[in-house]
Amino acid sequence: MITLTPKKEFRFPVIAECINPDIFHDKTTKEIEELKIWEGNKQKMLGELFKVEENRTENPQEREAITINGNLNKVRRIGAGMKSGEIIIHGDVGMHLGEEMKGGKITVHGNVGSWAGSMMKSGTIEIHGNVSDYLGAPYRGSIEGMRGGKIVVYGNVGNEAGAYMKNGLIKIYGNAGQFLGLRMRDGTIFVEKDSGGRAGACMKGGKIVVGGFLESVLPTFTIDSIKEKVKIEEGETIAGPFYLFIGDLVENGEGKLYLSKEKNPHLNHYERLL
Amino acid sequence: MELLIRNGFVYDPINGVDGEKMDIAVKDGKIVEKVNERKARKIDAFGMMVMPGGVDIHCHIAGSEVNSGRLLRPEDHFRDFERKTAVTRSGVGYSIPSTFTTGYRYSRMGYTTIMNPSMPPLEAKHTHEELSDTPMVDKASYPLLGDWWFVLEYLKDGKIEECARHVAWIITSTKGYAIKIVNAGGLEAWGFGGNVQSLDDQIPCFCITPREIIRGLCKVNRLLNLPHTIHVHTNNLGKPGNYITALETMKCIEDLATENKPIIHITHCQFSAFKGGDWRTLESGAEEIANYVNAHSHVTLDMGQVIFTDTTTMTADGPFQYTLYELSGNKWVNHDVETETSAGIVPFHYLRKSYVHAIQWSIGLELALLIKDPWKIFLTTDHPNGGPFTSYPRIIAWLMSRKAREATLKKINPRARSRSLLPSINRELSFKEIAIMTRAGQAKALGLKGKGHLGIGADADIAIYNLNPETIDPSKKYRIVRKAFKRAAYTIKNGKIVFKNGEIVKHLDGATMWLDVKVSEPAKISEDMRRRFREYWTVECENYPVTENYLEISQPINVEAKV
Amino acid sequence: MTVVKAVTCPVCGSLCDDIELTVEDGRIVKVKNGCALCESKFLGYNSEHRLLKPLIRKKEELVKVSWKEAVGRAAEILAEANYPILYGWSSTSCEAISLGLELAEEVGGVIDNTSVVCHGPSILSIQEVGIPSCTLGQIRHRADLVVYWGSNPWSAHPRHIERYTAFSEGRFERSAWKGYLNKIKASIVRKKIESAIRRVFFKGKPSAPSNIRNEPPSTLQKEGRKLIIIDVRKTRSAEIADYFIQVEPNKDYELLQAFRALIRDQEIDVDTVAGVPVEYLEEVADLMIRCDFGVLFFGLGLTMSSGKLRNIDAALSLVRDLNMWTKFVIMPMRGHFNVTGANTVFTWQTGYPYAVDFSLGYPQYNPGETSVVDVLLRKESDAALIIASDPVANFPKAAAEHLVKNLLIVIDPHMNATAQLADVVLPSSFVGIEAGGTAYRMDHVPLPLKKVVDPPRGILSDEEILRRILAEVRKIKKRRAEES
Repeated sequence: MITLTPKKEFRFPVIAECINPDIFHDKTTKEIEELKIWEGNKQKMLGELFKVEENRTENPQEREAITINGNLNKVRRIGAGMKSGEIIIHGDVGMHLGEEMKGGKITVHGNVGSWAGSMMKSGTIEIHGNVSDYLGAPYRGSIEGMRGGKIVVYGNVGNEAGAYMKNGLIKIYGNAGQFLGLRMRDGTIFVEKDSGGRAGACMKGGKIVVGGFLESVLPTFTIDSIKEKVKIEEGETIAGPFYLFIGDLVENGEGKLYLSKEKNPHLNHYERLL
Repeated sequence: MELLIRNGFVYDPINGVDGEKMDIAVKDGKIVEKVNERKARKIDAFGMMVMPGGVDIHCHIAGSEVNSGRLLRPEDHFRDFERKTAVTRSGVGYSIPSTFTTGYRYSRMGYTTIMNPSMPPLEAKHTHEELSDTPMVDKASYPLLGDWWFVLEYLKDGKIEECARHVAWIITSTKGYAIKIVNAGGLEAWGFGGNVQSLDDQIPCFCITPREIIRGLCKVNRLLNLPHTIHVHTNNLGKPGNYITALETMKCIEDLATENKPIIHITHCQFSAFKGGDWRTLESGAEEIANYVNAHSHVTLDMGQVIFTDTTTMTADGPFQYTLYELSGNKWVNHDVETETSAGIVPFHYLRKSYVHAIQWSIGLELALLIKDPWKIFLTTDHPNGGPFTSYPRIIAWLMSRKAREATLKKINPRARSRSLLPSINRELSFKEIAIMTRAGQAKALGLKGKGHLGIGADADIAIYNLNPETIDPSKKYRIVRKAFKRAAYTIKNGKIVFKNGEIVKHLDGATMWLDVKVSEPAKISEDMRRRFREYWTVECENYPVTENYLEISQPINVEAKV
Repeated sequence: MTVVKAVTCPVCGSLCDDIELTVEDGRIVKVKNGCALCESKFLGYNSEHRLLKPLIRKKEELVKVSWKEAVGRAAEILAEANYPILYGWSSTSCEAISLGLELAEEVGGVIDNTSVVCHGPSILSIQEVGIPSCTLGQIRHRADLVVYWGSNPWSAHPRHIERYTAFSEGRFERSAWKGYLNKIKASIVRKKIESAIRRVFFKGKPSAPSNIRNEPPSTLQKEGRKLIIIDVRKTRSAEIADYFIQVEPNKDYELLQAFRALIRDQEIDVDTVAGVPVEYLEEVADLMIRCDFGVLFFGLGLTMSSGKLRNIDAALSLVRDLNMWTKFVIMPMRGHFNVTGANTVFTWQTGYPYAVDFSLGYPQYNPGETSVVDVLLRKESDAALIIASDPVANFPKAAAEHLVKNLLIVIDPHMNATAQLADVVLPSSFVGIEAGGTAYRMDHVPLPLKKVVDPPRGILSDEEILRRILAEVRKIKKRRAEES
């Protein structure tokens, strides 16, 4: 197991896509220290910015793990593109955590910057803290959203979580910002608490479940029915009742938006249409 | 500076040199008879191939539509970037590279002259600003004139000579090189969301047909004595059954031809060679077009080959681009230019498994192989419409090797494979023919006297490829051929080594060539013209022309017109 | 006395190029054809705040120094920075912007233009949806339906309506100016009668202003060009419109999406959207479908209200969808005269229109990450070059606070708020008045900027200043490379 500790409080952005179990795999501590990393506009070696320690362990799973302790909120692209192994972070992390991740697991005990799990294909990200905007969303101009895998957030998330999602699961146990599941095509997003406005905007398919309050439903969604319960994933069903809206009409979408009936009494006027 | 390239196998089709081992001497940027052997810098080209620098007759590399494409597609760039080096600027690719990167990537393949084929006159300054920022290559641009109101009005009234004088004025004021016609009349109709369907459709509000525009401008081209022919993107481009339109376009000016000289260039012909009633029944019309071209000498073509990749389509053909948006559902940019033209951009992914795309791939190669005379058809992808120019080496491999074609055929849509004519074609092009299709033929069609050959006095734009024609069989070792054309051993521009060992070693600004067309009675900017100008455009007449300070290196070419 | 014709006005994105200036003794004394903004720029640019000497901060004070010393100090700051920002660019020439990009690349900095605080979100949406657009003349010749959304052209782009849209005269469409005059006359008469009646019957008690929104939209049935204004408040532009829709603040997205559904003939479950009855929206949607050529201009009122880039996303999608039925185009109302040029030059050199980060030696783009305001809010930069802009006055407070902690270089003709807090101040000439160059109109038409008069003695153009800094930076880097 490799443990990294920042040697100082970073001021400039640190681009650290080299912090990736696939890259660390089979490298000695010295080789890891020599990996290239950018701090601001200067190229450095990982060892200049981080203390690298190796703890020998026989457990093959743990051997592949990278633990990072400290404030990493300037450190971007950790675990980007990783295929296997595990990263455990104790502290806040910067942007693009686990971007284009293809496998393995990242666990963060702290807050995470924007574009976490962006364009993710597979694997798991677990965040015990808050996340900024664009969770699982694609790069600018791209329509390649999350393709698979699972993101679990125990805190709140910002705007546009799950934008352009094609598959996979996002579970948020706190609140979500605006435009949750924007233009999503498939997959599931579950928010236990409240959601900001415009949830499901332009969605074509997939499922958004909001257990809390949603200020208003977009006029381009149409009420379908009231459901007693809704399935989140294999073996997990949430009890309702839920209003089920279908949309987004502007995209001829067939997305499903489930909203807690109990938490959204202001939507009861839709019931006259049922 | 003097330079001596020794012992290479020289391919210089214009001067009848076909792979002979000889030396090429260079002095002050020109090819010369000989140089001082002791003083000259020597390049040992033993076992290598020496060709004139590549010439591209049609590739969208600069101007407002290209730049809108760049702006539209960050996702096209972010994985494909070029770092700054001690001599080069940084940039990004992939299908619409930034300007510096465009120049470097062409140079890497041994190309030295590039023609940017669509320039809206109103935005010509933009095109030239970008061309000035495109290093390593000489370049020129074609103003879009097929829907220019002045042209339509003069031609409607049959005033060919007045029209010619105005075209001379516009070519010179926009620092242009040739007359470009895109979907003649269709773009004016697109102003209100319409299009034309045939050569004889009336263009709304203008009482003129595409046939009259094409014929009129063909006559204008001859009156003005322009070095290139009219450069035509046909009507109905990209529609099933349009090979008939392409044939009609070639036929409609047949009677204007003299002395067996080409008078029309049909560009990216692949997109105009669709047979069949709809997308489902789409077939290749390459054979019909090839038969016509083989029997006539007034036409040149370029391929517009399709590559299986994610690229960006961009043409001045607004209605065609809208159709592409409808077909693909991808993001769509439209940019109509008042009084002149339009433009559209749609990202597009050509897939091997798509029937239509695979047929398109086949059509491009069929055209190049079925047209017997390589001086009539040139290698292009209509960059970036069929794919980025960086895929030319791939096309060279397909043209030179049946085996290479079969390797790709195996992977394409089976129904398209069964319809493709390629399995019945045995022809494999020689290095000489490739040299014609990628430089000599293009330079000749463009009327560029100093380009595309290595005769005495020619510009010293030279490509050296690490290929030994005596030992390599391109038919079998097509991968080696592909690799060699992808990365020249040396690229020499203006007599200076600019690319070697896989790296740009010198950043060099190329010249912008333009026609200074001299007419006996130049079009006057009269008060009447000024008034019409104010009515037609939203800029002042004085601010319309491109002044020479917009050209990093200006290279005017004098043309004596017959009017 | 000389008269200079066809001068391009360096104020707003309309870039009117028909200005006539009269110059006497090296001073502009008369402006013809310009709007009020244009006149005040050409006549009043040379104010008492004009900077006439380069300044450097020494012991907390800005003191006058030579160009050599000031340029040397600026170059030193940039060459040594770990994460410098280079910001502004929208009010200078393309030629200067081009040099700025080269400088940013050389020093590994983040370069950004004012789009980041205006139409940046619009660009992000264009990158997702695309944009059906055209040049302004196309609108003048053809548009029979003109919509301005969240934009007040009458005040911000005063000649826009007259030169390019409703009141301009095109080949296929007549100016609606006469109808407007009649309308104004009628409204004056009506107001007179109303006030007379009030005086007689109500003893001066004012009646509530009539809200056009609540009248049936009969004006939309008229022949010829129609002008619709959509905004959160009734602006000057709204007063001349044929129809005004007052949208509830921050509900533009809902309204746009409702239009998108209505033009597809879809039923809406609710009776009002954004405070507007759905039946009125249906009328307008019908009009949009039935026009021959429609155009939607949008301003910061739409870009910066809640939903930001997604409002534009919806607007672009609406216009794109309308092309299924008719010709419809859309265009952002760009503010600074050359912000479009800044986007254009950035894009051809780097592939990206703004917020370009060269710190890794190649262009990277991700607004939110590489945009200057966000860099400042995260307190990441250590040096800044500001050109033709005053971010201390108009950035969010927290961003401005970090900015002034950077080593700060300002290039500007004026002593503005940012310059007062700078470490190096380089006085420049006014682009488009004292220096030439190129600018791009909001519809991407390039126009030449003219040098009409000479700058004060010893003042350099933006271009020249940047060229000198760049040369100096290269010298420093070369020296450093030789030392190591």
